[in-house]
Amino acid sequence: MFEIFVCMFKEEWRMHSTLFGNLNFALFPILIFGMAFMGAFLIPFTARLMDVSMLVVTTHSMYCIMGFMVGSFGIMGKEMMNRRFGQGSLLIHSARSLPVSERRLFFNFVLKDTLYYFMLWIMPFCLGFTVAAPFAGINIYYPLLLFVTATLAFLLGMSTVFLLSSVYSRSRTALYGILVLIGVAFAALYIVSGDIVRVMRLFMLPSEIFLNFSYPLLLTAAAVILILFIPAVFLFSPETHAGEKRRSAALYPLYDCLSRLPYIRGRVAASPSAASEKGFVYAAAQKELTIISKDFIDLHRSGIGIGQTVFSFVLPVCLIWFVLSVLSDVLMPEQIYMVIAGVTGIIASTMYTWLTEFESFSAYLFLPVKVSSIIRAKIITFSVLHVLPVVFLIVTAVIGGVLSSAIFGIVMALSVSYYALSIMVRYAGLKPSLMLYSAAFFLRYSLLLMPVVIFLLGLSFIATEFSLAALILIIPSYFLLKGSFVKWDAEDLPNF
Amino acid sequence: MPESIIFIISQVNEKIGADYMESVIEAQGLTKDYGELRAVSGVSFSVPKGVVFGLLGQNGSGKTTIIKMLTGQVKITEGDCSILGVSPKTDPVRVRSLIGIIPEQETPPSFLTSIEYLQFAGKIRGIGDIGEKADWWFDFLDFADKKDVLCKDLSRGTRQKLMFAQAFLDNPEVAVVDEPLINLDPVMQRKVKDFLKSYTKEGRTVFISTHILENAQEICDKIAVLHKGTLLYTGKVAELNEQGKKLDDLFLELVSRA
Repeated sequence: MFEIFVCMFKEEWRMHSTLFGNLNFALFPILIFGMAFMGAFLIPFTARLMDVSMLVVTTHSMYCIMGFMVGSFGIMGKEMMNRRFGQGSLLIHSARSLPVSERRLFFNFVLKDTLYYFMLWIMPFCLGFTVAAPFAGINIYYPLLLFVTATLAFLLGMSTVFLLSSVYSRSRTALYGILVLIGVAFAALYIVSGDIVRVMRLFMLPSEIFLNFSYPLLLTAAAVILILFIPAVFLFSPETHAGEKRRSAALYPLYDCLSRLPYIRGRVAASPSAASEKGFVYAAAQKELTIISKDFIDLHRSGIGIGQTVFSFVLPVCLIWFVLSVLSDVLMPEQIYMVIAGVTGIIASTMYTWLTEFESFSAYLFLPVKVSSIIRAKIITFSVLHVLPVVFLIVTAVIGGVLSSAIFGIVMALSVSYYALSIMVRYAGLKPSLMLYSAAFFLRYSLLLMPVVIFLLGLSFIATEFSLAALILIIPSYFLLKGSFVKWDAEDLPNF
Repeated sequence: MPESIIFIISQVNEKIGADYMESVIEAQGLTKDYGELRAVSGVSFSVPKGVVFGLLGQNGSGKTTIIKMLTGQVKITEGDCSILGVSPKTDPVRVRSLIGIIPEQETPPSFLTSIEYLQFAGKIRGIGDIGEKADWWFDFLDFADKKDVLCKDLSRGTRQKLMFAQAFLDNPEVAVVDEPLINLDPVMQRKVKDFLKSYTKEGRTVFISTHILENAQEICDKIAVLHKGTLLYTGKVAELNEQGKKLDDLFLELVSRA
């Protein structure tokens, strides 16, 4: 029993260190510690600007989302491993080859995830907060309590996704029913109470424990996690039993449709004047259009499009919107809107990871295509996906009563997003998920991006129109991308 | 040219063998390091036009690395090579556009159907009229019923057929094939072996890597034996057959001596 646990623990470490490099990955908890340590000093100032309970709910929601993500990877791990590493699998899928029951494997898997991510994400964050507390004038009771409540929030997210996926494996309709029920309950409570923070505290029980600790509440939270988790253990099967899925051919129609856009003509027109060069560019543009068509099919058929839109875009930007909306006492609506636009730009830039995260680049290794062509294709798909942030910013502008600022917000968001994208492409190429755990990459990314965003937000606070200065980011983005194409073409193709 | 002279030339060619024929693949001192590990060390060989050339070796001997260097999938640490006169060092994309490749692992994109994948590979290769060619391959390899199935739901054998079809879709001058028969059933193996043998009769060349020696002896005209990244032997299968030698005996002898 313990051996399985140890092997799974090693497996998780090796998977991450293979993807991100041993040292970079090992430094990641230290980076989290540093950020929490420094962040703790900001809490007294933040408390003057916003309700502390909002901050607490947000922090716990983040840990809940992390639990959700970790659980999802556990369930979809086999598919992801196969797509990224070829014929790979995780130990959780070894019930067919080892004399161990699926339940036992699953139980070990949950234990492993809890301990592993406690050490990776929760402990460094809470330790940073604990060490800083005496210097920041925070009662040591709170960081110590956070160890418990952040862990509970993480487990809440993980057990929820396990249960939802167990339901999904038996009935999609039942899953949609549950999700609609949760949504209706959330909306009803919000309408009745009129206080979003109170509703979120109710749903995010660990944050309520943090704010009003009591043993009955603690026991209730533990019971909720168990209630979600126990049926999942009995219902859950990590093996997929899906049959053959058939689809009518969509690649050619999509390609024909996309080829009506001026992309190929534009690429050729922008190329050097020699006829032979134009021929190469024409061929490359056709290949890129083919990859773009494939990417759209991938997004549609894999469910990544909808899943990522909801969990990686809509949920985070809505959370940020709620958090920022409580700053209305200290900031003008236009200023809040510009902050939302800046943050939306950063979140929108991560859409590049949707297109690369689960892609198996082995499929391109033996085809006559350059890495730069693959990256170009991803950037075009990325650009099309930017309909999402644009729509979101128009909606928030309408609801926030700042429609006249919408264009400035959109310029800010798009400029920030493309600038962040160019940094990701320059330093991570087709592997932007490096950002998740590579301390060196994350630092470089933050140092290149954050000061620029803060400066632009400062300008837009003076006058909303000044946000047009963000257009200057087109220049560094262009040169970063141009350099990236040369750089990644000169290196070995990514082997997964 | 008088017919008698053509006859004499053809006889001379037959006598002196393929070594003096036009080479389509050349490798000179190919070396590949992965960090501290030297995967391939100073390998040189030449593959004449119109033969099935087999690169034989145990697991981890460097066969796949050589294929990756030849086709520009990884950078060459030292040495050089060329396929149809083009060096993957200077123009890897051109090399891959001239040849068909079946990689070690069958990895078609998960969410394309079989037919879409052939269309995808065809578009990237700039091949016209894919529909008819794809249909021929679906029929030949007996998987027309899987045309509309998503690649992720295909069995390994069917994926291997799909990879085979994409590599030979446009009858390339040279095909580089890594373990071509590994996931196929005996009936399909026979069909593929016959295809490979007939393919070279039309003047095309097949470079295969395998560790299944019976297959190599059956289909290859020329072989090279690789062991721990170094080349131990190159020779013709016909000579072995003439001497009544079995390829697996020769292989084991070479490897045990190394």
